[in-house]
Amino acid sequence: MLQFDNVGMRYGAGPEVLRDVNFRLDAGSFTFLTGPSGAGKSTLLRLMYLAEPPTRGLITLFGCDLATTRRSRFPGLRRRIGVVFQDFRLLDHLSAFDNVALPLRLARRSVHNFARDVEELLGWVGLGEKLDAEPPILSGGEQQRVAIARAVVGRPDLLLADEPTGNVDPDMAQRLIRLFVELNRLGTTVLIATHDRSLLESTRAREMRLVDGRLVEMRLQHA
Amino acid sequence: MSAQRPGRIMPRWEGAAPLDLAIGVMAFLAALAVGASLIAARTAEGWRAGLASGITVQILPPERGAIEPRWQNEVDASLSLLRGTSGIARAEPVSDSDTRALVAPWLGTGVLPKELPLPRLVDATLTPGAAIDLAGLAKRLKQVAPDSLLDDHSSWTMRLQSAADDVIWSACGILALIALGTAATVTFATRAGLAGHQPIVSLLHQMGARAGFIARAFEWHYFASALAAAALGTVLAAAVFVLAAGLEGAGLAPVPFLPPLGLGLAELPWLLLVPAAAGIIALVTARISVLAALARNY
Repeated sequence: MLQFDNVGMRYGAGPEVLRDVNFRLDAGSFTFLTGPSGAGKSTLLRLMYLAEPPTRGLITLFGCDLATTRRSRFPGLRRRIGVVFQDFRLLDHLSAFDNVALPLRLARRSVHNFARDVEELLGWVGLGEKLDAEPPILSGGEQQRVAIARAVVGRPDLLLADEPTGNVDPDMAQRLIRLFVELNRLGTTVLIATHDRSLLESTRAREMRLVDGRLVEMRLQHA
Repeated sequence: MSAQRPGRIMPRWEGAAPLDLAIGVMAFLAALAVGASLIAARTAEGWRAGLASGITVQILPPERGAIEPRWQNEVDASLSLLRGTSGIARAEPVSDSDTRALVAPWLGTGVLPKELPLPRLVDATLTPGAAIDLAGLAKRLKQVAPDSLLDDHSSWTMRLQSAADDVIWSACGILALIALGTAATVTFATRAGLAGHQPIVSLLHQMGARAGFIARAFEWHYFASALAAAALGTVLAAAVFVLAAGLEGAGLAPVPFLPPLGLGLAELPWLLLVPAAAGIIALVTARISVLAALARNY
């Protein structure tokens, strides 16, 4: 599914923020990415969702060596990835419904085809009454739930979430984790970057720990 | 409800008003140029048809002998010859007062001195479609009226046609410049809009949108804006032509000595080409600009 071999990353002439990163995510796996602030979690995620190329090393995604894959194939690869951004990146001029439906529109599905799915999903994350609300009038937690719904609505092959429960209460956090677990059960490979140890303790999943740009620990959590 | 009608992915760029204004003004000027070329073409055709359907015979005052009887004899002989020539529908002498009226713009309307010799004129109308040997007719006129000159108006027709062609080509040149200016303005605005919408473009790119998808979101936005702005500019230009026609209808020529400046109802639809062209120029320019910027930045 996703493999990093000796991957390094630096911005400009600065120091390497990721060093000799090696790991593999198997299809259907569920993984937590943890580590202190500034350890390089967001940078590692950016490499995974093809926001930028590494400065060295090899990344293989969906069986494609990214160094030799034609750029014209990247949009297709990106559409197979659902991303929950730490800053949500919702479109303020679109309603919650339209924000969530965006990946489906990019996949050229018609509104009649997906409207019910989107409404059900927004209902599941507790926003069934706010389909037409635009992000600026939603709370931080509500915006986060819209961002999560947008990431999962297309049932991506790979789900990457950066602190997806940072703005919600513990009950809602557990509910969202159940959503990720359910998605994983349906076949999606899930990786969640988080500081929240309670999430790790409630879910049987592998943990990858990143410290100072290096992966230092990989272990299986037991619920 | 949003579920039934998805929102526009690309919101209106807040800095677009100056672009709309520029396109509206350009469309106004373009519509004036189109209207001017229509008027020039119509006027030239009117002049050509009027002049080509008639001939004029001038009989100059005889240089020797008794002037008056010979002069009148030559007029009468010319009239008889013309009236007996196949292909000439009508031939009439032009009265002295009408002849004086013809030269009035140059010599004034005061009393002309008697000794100023004005030629006598015979105006003839050709039968539509008739083929007349004008050179042969001129020779035969010389035989019966040695002081006659046949004018078939061809030199005037050619000059007027040439002048009208110049006006039409000038209008085409102005239209080409306006199209170029519109394309440059839209290119500039598209780049600014792309920068203004950078977070949206970046997100769409990240979610796997192809360049063509993003370009379509932009190009339809600029197409619609340009179409609306150009339609407004064209309506204003059309109003100018309708107003000119109204003034002329009321007997008030907006600009004396020029041909009628109004456009008829049958001619006004030609102005619709302006907003259509503006929309297409904006669409194509925006697409090219966006695709180039996406290839450069992403």
